[in-house]
Amino acid sequence: MSWTKDELMIAAAAEVIENRDIALVGIGLPVMAAMFAKHTTAPDLKLIYESGAIDAQPKDLPQGPGDFPLLRTSTMTTSLFDALGYVQRGKVDIAFLGAAEIDQYGNLNATVIGDYMHPDCRLPGSGGANDMGSGARKIVVISRHLRRKFPARVSYITTPGFLCGPGERERHGLGGEGPVRVVTDLGIFGFDDETKRMRILSIHPGVSKQEIIRNTQFEILGMDGEIPVTAEKSEELHRLLQSLDPQHIYIKN
Amino acid sequence: MTTANKKLISLREAAALVPDGANMSFSGFAETNNPLSFVREMIRTGKTHLEISGMGDAQSVELLCGAGAVDLVRVSNYMAKNGRCPNFCRCAQQGTIRTEDYSHFGITNRFFAAAMGIPFMPVKVMIGSDLCEIQNFDKDRKVMEFDDPFSGERCGIVPRLAPDFAVIHVARADAEGNCQLYGITSSIEIIARAAKHVIVTAEEIVDTEEIRRTNQFTILPSFFVDYVVHCPFGAYPGGVFTYYDYDLEHLDLITRSGKSPDTMEAYFDEWVYGTKDEAAFFDKVGIRRLMDLRADPYSGVSLRNRRQFL
Repeated sequence: MSWTKDELMIAAAAEVIENRDIALVGIGLPVMAAMFAKHTTAPDLKLIYESGAIDAQPKDLPQGPGDFPLLRTSTMTTSLFDALGYVQRGKVDIAFLGAAEIDQYGNLNATVIGDYMHPDCRLPGSGGANDMGSGARKIVVISRHLRRKFPARVSYITTPGFLCGPGERERHGLGGEGPVRVVTDLGIFGFDDETKRMRILSIHPGVSKQEIIRNTQFEILGMDGEIPVTAEKSEELHRLLQSLDPQHIYIKN
Repeated sequence: MTTANKKLISLREAAALVPDGANMSFSGFAETNNPLSFVREMIRTGKTHLEISGMGDAQSVELLCGAGAVDLVRVSNYMAKNGRCPNFCRCAQQGTIRTEDYSHFGITNRFFAAAMGIPFMPVKVMIGSDLCEIQNFDKDRKVMEFDDPFSGERCGIVPRLAPDFAVIHVARADAEGNCQLYGITSSIEIIARAAKHVIVTAEEIVDTEEIRRTNQFTILPSFFVDYVVHCPFGAYPGGVFTYYDYDLEHLDLITRSGKSPDTMEAYFDEWVYGTKDEAAFFDKVGIRRLMDLRADPYSGVSLRNRRQFL
């Protein structure tokens, strides 16, 4: 059986996690990526939640960042102020974010579509996303790849990627390295060292270049060359991943 | 500060303390610990023109926006289970509330400055982003970039923010206002220390001797607290760890109702205006529902609600 798009995204996001990383996770696919990494390549991974649940090891999948199964399986339960303070201190190696929009410099929008004062669509807002994007060492973005979600410039920068290019994060005094990976249902992307613009790393099996170009409002670097196909992992790992979410709470597509 | 024996008051008395136009902050994170009995009582008594300075108090703010009680919101993130808060979003889109956006850590640092008795806090968040660039009603008193006078390092500073009232829901309090909470605290102890007036709603009222015996759970000493209200199930339909699970069905009902002003009004008519007080509200919820949600003392969640029978 081949991997679904959600499963491919989870495995690709999990690949960025290194053993002994401290990861800050929200809800949804990032929870699955972290749990998949912990069961495979990163058994010493520690998960912290912005709610203040530290090193939680829930037996059941949490349904939210403050869900009770996290609280009774943490080594420490503290405040959001502490948890996000750990990020600012530089203790968090990797954080996973989603967004309504992502642009060519990896800036993320979770605040409004349209003008801030008169929004066409009001979104939930930053939460801890800006805090993670400012201070976590590496940011991994997980997103559906739709044309409206990939504009040249987001309508509102909730979470800083590389802002408008090289040197901008440093100029504003931001601590972390910024986004290192964007995982979508069409492919896997990184950022060009020199220009800080989005660059393709691999294309998912069965996806065409045209599909990616059609669904992106800016030019992605590296699209004209030979693009590797995202490698599917073994059937054994596939079964393991599926066993982590038997009720399909997070893996839907 | 009131004397200890006058701190314990009724929910009605406590809600009456809040004037229209007050700057308020509520406890809560995701599905837990919002002071919703207090919020329903505010809606029953028709509060208006409120200013909200919150961090994670989505359930409170969503209901108050739906009731047309809010003018201004300092928002870091308002989400209902798996999505947007429809009342809050509609009000923001139609311009009936004005918003100022913060990150969770950014606004909590504004509370922290007030809690520490200092004018501002340096931060390394919000800077560079539109949370800093775009300033609405907090223009010039939101966040600005700043060079550390000692090292020259670039950072941000945020000014202190002291709400008029913090209303926080805790697990246990004594009559003097010593507060206990198990598990994550969101950041309610900071918000309480920042606020000019603090009203505590508590699942249980216990003797001070019991607080002393279990003082590892105390998050706030009594001298920050002005009033204490006994509110069992006071976060319902949200949950309180080790007391009861959140009621997903009722939370969904609120989110579904919020999709249009008419259905939201119908919700309030049935559940809030239609119940004269919280006792009548919980009569309507029903004992069976509450028993299903009651937490198993060992696991802290309702195994029945989560379909995990032992």
